Amino acid sequence: MNEQQPYAVIDGHGAMNVFEIYIKTTPERLWEAITDEEMRSKYSFGVGTVSEWTAGSEYKSGVPGAIEIAAGVNVEVDPPRRLVQTFTALWSDDVRAEGESRVTWEIEPVGSSCRLRVTHDQLSADANSELFGGWPMILSGLKTLLETGDLLDTPGSLRYAEAGS
Amino acid sequence: MDDVFKALADPTRRELLDALHESNGQTLSELEARFEMTRFGVMKHLKVLEGAGLLVTQRRGREKLHFLNPVPIRTIYERWVSKYAESWAAPLSQHKHDLEKEDER
Repeated sequence: MNEQQPYAVIDGHGAMNVFEIYIKTTPERLWEAITDEEMRSKYSFGVGTVSEWTAGSEYKSGVPGAIEIAAGVNVEVDPPRRLVQTFTALWSDDVRAEGESRVTWEIEPVGSSCRLRVTHDQLSADANSELFGGWPMILSGLKTLLETGDLLDTPGSLRYAEAGS
Repeated sequence: MDDVFKALADPTRRELLDALHESNGQTLSELEARFEMTRFGVMKHLKVLEGAGLLVTQRRGREKLHFLNPVPIRTIYERWVSKYAESWAAPLSQHKHDLEKEDER
């Protein structure tokens, strides 16, 4: 097994989930796709994320006038490699009750591709799986967008897109 | 994608993924305790799963934790299943799940 972990040691407490995907793109394009409101919405159920993307700045995810999805603070911003955010889900009373967790985005160039790892930790041991259950669809949609320019067109992937348009 | 299917084509490796699905982020020792197999045998299976991207590891302090990475399975799902509306498939698979639960009783 690979002992050369490129990833920072996560010092988190509580439950952790890790999601990883390889995408044929550059770190810069990948960073843009994560931090650009319009690009982000294309693979995030139609949900855009707005922020100044500086350390300590806040971010908000949602569809204006339709639904609030999440909010938090950008704890570490190191483009195009690493982004650490606090995460509070807002889309229902159940997920709001879960409180704050943490999401770490790590981009590692591998040949002509990038390995993107999203670590969602500081979750409660019995955290509602809705909190992190969307990551596989989001990351898969991000790969499709960057590699083909297409959008996923499953009903779930476009859940909030019409509400926002 | 070949790697994913090869990795999944083994009952022990599917059991390892089930164990992580049940409790994500386990050490080698924790995983090993679930199987009547040598440590080396479990490590070999974990290596195949890691090579297929179905398993990722992360360090927490001195421990190396193993996590189920469901993203490649989602990608396979989208390749073939997404053509059929999820809104149809989801209630049907839930129904199948419910029926199978009933059978287990």
